[in-house]
Amino acid sequence: MKSLSLYNRTSTLGGIYFLLLVNRTQMHYFILIMPTFLVHSYMVWGIIVMGLLSQLNLMMLSKWFTSRYAAKGYQGFVQLFGKRTVQIFAILGFLILLPKISIITLGYVEMLHSFIYPSMNKNWLILMILLISLFVASHGMEKTLRFVVIAFLGGVWIVIMFIPFFFPPIANYRDLYPLIPTEWSEQSWRGLLFIWSALSGPVYLAFMVPWLSSNKKIMKYLVIGNMLSIMEYSFLFIASVLFYGSHYLSKINFPLVYMGSYIQTGGLERIDYILISFHMFTYVFDISILLLCFYGAGRIFMRKMNEQTTRIGLLSSWFVILISIIFMNHWLWQTVPGQKMLLNIQIWIGAFLYLLVPTILFTAVKRKESM
Amino acid sequence: MVPYKHYSLLAIACLMWMAGCSSPYVENNMIEEIAPVVFWSVDKGTEGKFKISTLVPPLIQEKKRLLTKEVDLLKQGGKEFNLIYNRELKQGQLRMVLINEELAKKGDIEKLVNTILVDPDISMRVYLLIVRGNFDEYINNQLTKQENQDYFLYRMLKHYEDHNQGEMSIVNIHQFMKKLYSPLEDPILPVFQSDKNNFNYVGTAFFRKDKEVMFIQNVEDEIFQLLGNDHFLKVLAIPKLSVSLGRVRSDVRMKLSRDYSSLSLHVGLNGRIEEYQGEKEIQSEEQLQHVIQEIEGYLEEQTSDLLKRMQRLKVDPLEVGTHSLKPFSKEITEKQWLKYWGNMKINVDYDIKIQPLNNVERLM
Amino acid sequence: MVEKYDPQMKSYQLPTWLDELKQKLNHMDDAEVVELRMGTHASVHLLYIKTLIDHERLNEAIIQPLHRCAGNSLSSCITNAKVSEVTSIEEAQQKIMQGFILLNDSVNDQWLGVQLETTLGRAVESSQTETVIYGAKDSFSEQIDKNITMLRRRLPITTLKSESFTVGSLSKTKVVLLYIDGLTNPKFISYARKKIESVNFDQFLDSSQLAAFMEDHHHTVFPQFLQTDRPDACAYALGEGKLTLLVSNSPFALLAPITFFHLFQSPEDYFLRWTVASFLRLIRYGSFIVSLALIPFYVALTTFHYQMVPLPILFVLLESRSKLPFTPFVEGLSMIVTLEIIKEASLRMPTKTSQTLGVIGGIVIGQAAVEAGFASKILIVLMGISAIAFFLVPNYQMTKSMVLMQVSLLILASFLGLPGIVIGLIGILAHLHGLTSLGQPYFAPVAPFYGKEWIDLFIRGPLIWMRTRPDYLKPLRKWRQEMKK
Repeated sequence: MKSLSLYNRTSTLGGIYFLLLVNRTQMHYFILIMPTFLVHSYMVWGIIVMGLLSQLNLMMLSKWFTSRYAAKGYQGFVQLFGKRTVQIFAILGFLILLPKISIITLGYVEMLHSFIYPSMNKNWLILMILLISLFVASHGMEKTLRFVVIAFLGGVWIVIMFIPFFFPPIANYRDLYPLIPTEWSEQSWRGLLFIWSALSGPVYLAFMVPWLSSNKKIMKYLVIGNMLSIMEYSFLFIASVLFYGSHYLSKINFPLVYMGSYIQTGGLERIDYILISFHMFTYVFDISILLLCFYGAGRIFMRKMNEQTTRIGLLSSWFVILISIIFMNHWLWQTVPGQKMLLNIQIWIGAFLYLLVPTILFTAVKRKESM
Repeated sequence: MVPYKHYSLLAIACLMWMAGCSSPYVENNMIEEIAPVVFWSVDKGTEGKFKISTLVPPLIQEKKRLLTKEVDLLKQGGKEFNLIYNRELKQGQLRMVLINEELAKKGDIEKLVNTILVDPDISMRVYLLIVRGNFDEYINNQLTKQENQDYFLYRMLKHYEDHNQGEMSIVNIHQFMKKLYSPLEDPILPVFQSDKNNFNYVGTAFFRKDKEVMFIQNVEDEIFQLLGNDHFLKVLAIPKLSVSLGRVRSDVRMKLSRDYSSLSLHVGLNGRIEEYQGEKEIQSEEQLQHVIQEIEGYLEEQTSDLLKRMQRLKVDPLEVGTHSLKPFSKEITEKQWLKYWGNMKINVDYDIKIQPLNNVERLM
Repeated sequence: MVEKYDPQMKSYQLPTWLDELKQKLNHMDDAEVVELRMGTHASVHLLYIKTLIDHERLNEAIIQPLHRCAGNSLSSCITNAKVSEVTSIEEAQQKIMQGFILLNDSVNDQWLGVQLETTLGRAVESSQTETVIYGAKDSFSEQIDKNITMLRRRLPITTLKSESFTVGSLSKTKVVLLYIDGLTNPKFISYARKKIESVNFDQFLDSSQLAAFMEDHHHTVFPQFLQTDRPDACAYALGEGKLTLLVSNSPFALLAPITFFHLFQSPEDYFLRWTVASFLRLIRYGSFIVSLALIPFYVALTTFHYQMVPLPILFVLLESRSKLPFTPFVEGLSMIVTLEIIKEASLRMPTKTSQTLGVIGGIVIGQAAVEAGFASKILIVLMGISAIAFFLVPNYQMTKSMVLMQVSLLILASFLGLPGIVIGLIGILAHLHGLTSLGQPYFAPVAPFYGKEWIDLFIRGPLIWMRTRPDYLKPLRKWRQEMKK
């Protein structure tokens, strides 16, 4: 069994990485289906409100980043909670990460499948994406975290393509009215929950602190990263409302991708194919980071923290994910109720995690410090 | 880092395992083996069937022929064409759907359009056209006369779509569907007249839901282009007054009263007189003003008539309803709006500004 | 065979070296042993390899002075050449093979070596591999000392240090490591030293071979050392905080640590106006992407995504592809291979033949292939664009490795279309991101991110704004400007 150093670190990553990490982890599957959940133009305020709440949450998280426990990584957690509890957390994390990776992968594959390769066997697409993610992840935690710059550059320009939707004749600004919520239903609450869950990506950063620098200034970057996401969310949402109007919007499953297909240039049509393909950068980054977290969690509950990381270990966690995705796809995702259930699970888990993790860490650190 | 050979071993193992389950592709999009269809023409067939037809081979300079089939379902037609023709017909480049007017008046377009929308290969930029008369006959007749009929038809539509040139109402699937689903707007489609030798634009059809209820042409259509669709007309010919205005740009202001009982419609037109065959001496400023007043009066009358017809048939292609939307109040429902719309008092006011003529006697 | 050489007793057995050395020089046609009789001394033996030494200087510096010599020691007689004592027989052998003349001083019982090697070599010519229109025209040649001279003239400071190493059990190649003391990060220097010392191979005919032994990643297609024969580029790199390695008998210096983006920079970038230089750089990156992805993109479009082609283009495409026997993938691959064959052939041929080759290649690839129905017109056009785009990348090694990337993207495109190309791009970027050059990240100003260095990355910003040395090179002195006193 050859060893492989996945969790080594040579240098810590500074502020700008926080910005990019926060932004990219908030930008995966949910952004694509976001307009169908929000539907009404006034929900843009929902995005902003939830974004501000998320801001508060990130502030709490930044307290954790700068605490002395965080920088110690695993040992820090052990000091805070004790070995048993950390192990239980790891098992929980293991169980939470598995559906998360599976659902975002399935969501992306679903999109690839329905737009680009409608008659292709989905398993191939799943395999391809996971293989490239494994390749990225095999470079180790530090390099994968740094890969965020490339993922960001590979994906961020997509937003620019949506600028034409803000201009007539495509856009009709009266579609934005009414600007304030005139009615409030269960659907609207679900929309808010959805955004909260969509913004929950940065929660996983809490467990990557040893690779990130923990100086005081990171707060600014966390806030800017979150702001950037909010801007992207509201930009895309407004674009989609302008393009479809609320009534038509609720009937479309991947509104943003359909909008991509509406863009036409002299040399190329169906730009959506390019946009979907390049969106993969964000996914691959996310999946590889989560894969490494998954392996890490596995190591904690198998009590192998002090042993070297191994190739077999990484590969077997990868296989667990692959198999879980394929089975999930087979049994649940392909039926409408199953897909809804998975999506709901993901929304609720994401929302709870984003609510609980920063609070728990924050209070735990405060309690320890006061003791 | 994991050495690369391990990846390849792993990849091969996975590939073999999955290849055992099924092959990755079942579809062949190889460009030389397919025939991307440019248009579907859908007509009413016998016994409630559809009669659909298209031209093959599309886009290739080979001897062409028109394929026609009577089918129950649209997709069935595509499938049966494949069996007739040696290349596989693909819908990914579908650019136009021509629907026979009789079908449109029956009102089942939504299902038809949805069929097209569901196919991820097809872009939402497909043009929708209503055809009067027999399109198949025209195409069949033209086969020998002109090459690449299908392609040039598309180029024509694209030409008039770009920059809203104000000659035709060109509508694509997305625009149609957006208006169909919006409670305060009604969709429109262009209508083309087709017979053995000609295929030409005649006017615009208005829809309530997905059913054609009204048709306008000539001056009415031109007014509609000015009011709602393009806000521009290259030529506005008014034979009754023996005058043609050219390069007319319109500035439309609509104001709904608070209780939706009246609408004041102010249309500012900016253009120039390009032709005058009448009796008046338009070289003199005074006479010119007179002509302009005549034109204004004429247009006001025509417009009021047009709007009255719309009200009677309860269609709102001008999107007047969207003016009821306010930033801070709830939007009214479709039912409510149509009630208001039917009984609304409309006040039309034209204001024409003619760019200075070259040879006018100034009253200075 | 004379008695065995005993290192403990070497000084007492010096005279016996003569026989031993003669023995060693046996069967060497160009080895000469000359006995000189002169006034006071009994006789002096001169040993040398005649093909390695400068005969005129031998006469001037040794034979004539020795004839006139009256002093006691030989070394005092030889005044216009550097004389050094030889203390071991290994050294004697080594020196004689480096163009030294060995003489035995029987009075003092010692052997002396005089360095009189011929200065056989090219004159300073202008660079053939990296031509510039403006800027210095000289380039390195095979003589390492001359090369160092060129650098020293450009950096006349005492802090420019040069450390010499010898590598290769057969070639005994001299390697000189140059750096600016107090500027270049000492970590790089010690890392490079360690790497050079650990090199174990017989022959080094070019600096690229040395690079192959020193690089961190052996299986990648990306060069981790920049090879250049331009002294100005070397001087600039040294000034930024990089190392330079000169290898004797190779006109190419090695620069390290480099980043991927250095492969797209030409020395001329810094001589042109910054707006122009930036534009050219952007075009270079653009053509890099075009040359990598254009043909794969064509294959993806024609194999999977016919929906993406606008109707007017599809019209042409269908027309030209409908009668072809090959699939787009085979068509593209065969054209790429053919192009490589032509490129390679024209490179190795004498100049006159290569012109003919160009014409034949042009006609065969261009016209005949289309007319015979082997390739589509559009592919030929795209092929031409991407082939020319290849040449815009200034680094020749990179140009060669790009073909491999192009082919791998082509294969991916033929399997998975556009998503395949993107998977390939992610793979390439992740790989690049994982590389290191001399232990430093290869994808540097991008990931790890150094925002400040972006001014000299995709564009070449105004020189007056580039006041600091690149952070990713971790120089000891940050500012390029001198502190005002």
